[in-house]
Amino acid sequence: MSEGGGDRPARQVVRAPERPSAARGPAPGTGDVLRQDEYGRVLLGSLMRAQLGVTASILGPAVVLLALYPLLAVLVPGLARDEVLGVPLTLVVLGGGIYPPLVLLGFWYVRRAEHVEQRFSELLQDR
Amino acid sequence: MAEPYTIGAVVAVTVVTAVVGLRGMRVARTPADFMVAARQVPPLLNASAISGEYLSAASFLGIAGLALLEGLGALWYAVGYAAGYLVLLAAVAAPLRRFGAYTIPDFAEGRLGSPRLRRWATVMVLVICGFYLLPQLNGAGITLQLAVGGPYWIGVVVLGVVVSVGIASGGMKGITVVQAFLYWLKLTVIAVPALVLLLVLRHPPVAGIEGPAPLHFLRATLVRFPDAETISVRHAVTVLARGVVGGLRRSGPLLLHPGRSTVGAGSALRFPAGSAAPAVQPGSVVGDRAWASPLVQFGGRADHPLAATYGVLVATVFGAMGLPHILVRFYTNSDGRSARRTTALVLLLVSVFYAFPAVYAVLGRMEAPGLYVSGQADSVVLALPKMVAGGLGGDVLGALVAAGAFAAFLSTSSGLLIAMAGALSHDILGRGVRAFRLSALGIGAAVTAGGLAVAAVPINVLVGWAFAIAASSFCPLLLLGIWWPRLTRVGAKWGLALGGGASSAAVVADLAGAAQRGWPALLLGEPAIWTVPLAFGAMVVGSLATPQAVPANVTDLLVTLHLPERLQLRHGQPPGAQRLETLSAPPGPRTPAGTRPRRTRSAWEALRPDGTGGSPRRRARRAGSAPVSPPGGRSRLPGRRSG
Repeated sequence: MSEGGGDRPARQVVRAPERPSAARGPAPGTGDVLRQDEYGRVLLGSLMRAQLGVTASILGPAVVLLALYPLLAVLVPGLARDEVLGVPLTLVVLGGGIYPPLVLLGFWYVRRAEHVEQRFSELLQDR
Repeated sequence: MAEPYTIGAVVAVTVVTAVVGLRGMRVARTPADFMVAARQVPPLLNASAISGEYLSAASFLGIAGLALLEGLGALWYAVGYAAGYLVLLAAVAAPLRRFGAYTIPDFAEGRLGSPRLRRWATVMVLVICGFYLLPQLNGAGITLQLAVGGPYWIGVVVLGVVVSVGIASGGMKGITVVQAFLYWLKLTVIAVPALVLLLVLRHPPVAGIEGPAPLHFLRATLVRFPDAETISVRHAVTVLARGVVGGLRRSGPLLLHPGRSTVGAGSALRFPAGSAAPAVQPGSVVGDRAWASPLVQFGGRADHPLAATYGVLVATVFGAMGLPHILVRFYTNSDGRSARRTTALVLLLVSVFYAFPAVYAVLGRMEAPGLYVSGQADSVVLALPKMVAGGLGGDVLGALVAAGAFAAFLSTSSGLLIAMAGALSHDILGRGVRAFRLSALGIGAAVTAGGLAVAAVPINVLVGWAFAIAASSFCPLLLLGIWWPRLTRVGAKWGLALGGGASSAAVVADLAGAAQRGWPALLLGEPAIWTVPLAFGAMVVGSLATPQAVPANVTDLLVTLHLPERLQLRHGQPPGAQRLETLSAPPGPRTPAGTRPRRTRSAWEALRPDGTGGSPRRRARRAGSAPVSPPGGRSRLPGRRSG
């Protein structure tokens, strides 16, 4: 974020080089379509809505997952005293059990978000 | 009673980190080095580095300590710390990387076009990092206290001096590989002793955790009292005392009569095996079934546990995205797509780590009653291996854990202090190396003093507050800035002021002991539950009330945020690069009103150092092969900082 010694070097922008794979995609500048007119704005809106949809479909289950157990523990006091293989349910859930679903949701999101982007770039290309 | 293995391990970690950090400085000096880092850091390495910087004293000591003290419900902190990365992944990571702003003040100014908003965001950076830095110093104090047996302030001052002098002198800026290494070190040193302890104990007594905490010491146990306490025993017991007991200085066997005795600060009592654990007045130990409850019992109280649990979740889940020293790391990803993959891996890595604090909490409750008796719950991870394993093995395990813990404090506090000193010197005091150094020393001294003052607050509660403030200020700014076209600088200011102000005020009031029980205590102690909605509401209302303040180039900005990089190439430049150059331009091109030149073609071309010639295609090739040198301004490179 900052530097503590020596002279301040001239600012340089750090960028990844273009990847070879990018050559197979749409021509550079395709994205300018989105900046130009009303149609571009509609396209942009559709991309954002699609991405938000994926986000919501991941975070929705996550919220349920996180909020449900405390709620159940209040509504069904006996639940927290159940045991799984001799280990109290609370320890099973909070000590590790709640993480695998969260991680799976995360990797699922990555796949779906990349899919949305792939579809969108095909849409731009076909135009 | 100093413990040579532990001292040696802590010193070794400090020296190695400092040496590697200094070497890293020397090796990665030119922008080209950072170019390499920026394009070649694969997601797993980068995710390890982010996790290494993220797992601080709170994760390493705090969660287990709070769970030992207040019950299993405290593990919700860990769940929230991890789940925060799911929100970061699904809503922030890729767009923020594409935007190309390195810090939240950069983002605030770039997205909403207001230098004043930038300064407001800078103030919030200082507040959040400050609250996050206190528990690191607190943890260092506890660790060295246990290792050296001296007073609490030694560790606080050692860490404060090492980190501030290190940063002021230009060293200690870990590079990606160091941070990644520290993640695996921390995971190893918390996992190996936990697994060894489970083996040593053969049948872990988990089934008994709902019963009362054991009232007897299973083995002869040294209980240290860092603060003066009043203890009471039910039966007479002969202890080995060192220090002031009952107003008299003792050294040797002492018969404690049934009833109360006062113990002076810094005293230590060794209880024989099988003796009853003393009770401490006022009793703060959560008893029996309450300990096994899956709800947060804030401050050990059971009032409104569901609201307290949700308060912790809101703060930790939404706060993770607002941590300045973590966000800057995302720019070592090559593009938005790899930022996503990196974040998913971070979620996995921190989740693996968070399986272990629960082990220490449960074993600590069963095996080490002395810790919560004497109010040293935060040291359970450090003390447990020694207590249970015993002998040379216990010494080595204990030294290992202490070294890992110190590595955690060192790396996280360096990152935080660099973030704070950079923000203070760059945005408030005026640029320059001198300002940066003075900022680092000044902030270092201030937080060291603060660290001495918060000795009695559990680490995890302090970190929870840092998250609550971040969740009430930067979280709405990022989420609305990325997804809501109608956000304005006015709305953003309202949100930062109300959310950040209210949450900070609540935390300060709670520290001052403004409310002790019931809803007032809960709302001050877990402010996120009301300040996060307040901040979102203020941003939305403020923005809707000032539609004229929506940036004119908002479509442009949203395209930059959301369109995949390979579709974005425009005039031969990835827009993130354009954005940064515009931001980092020297003050000259700014208009008197304080607005930056719009990112129109002409402003952008004017900033280009290499002329404007060439077809878009040719320029695209050039951009791919050579770095773009902007006309001036401050370097803010991703690999550069990252303590």
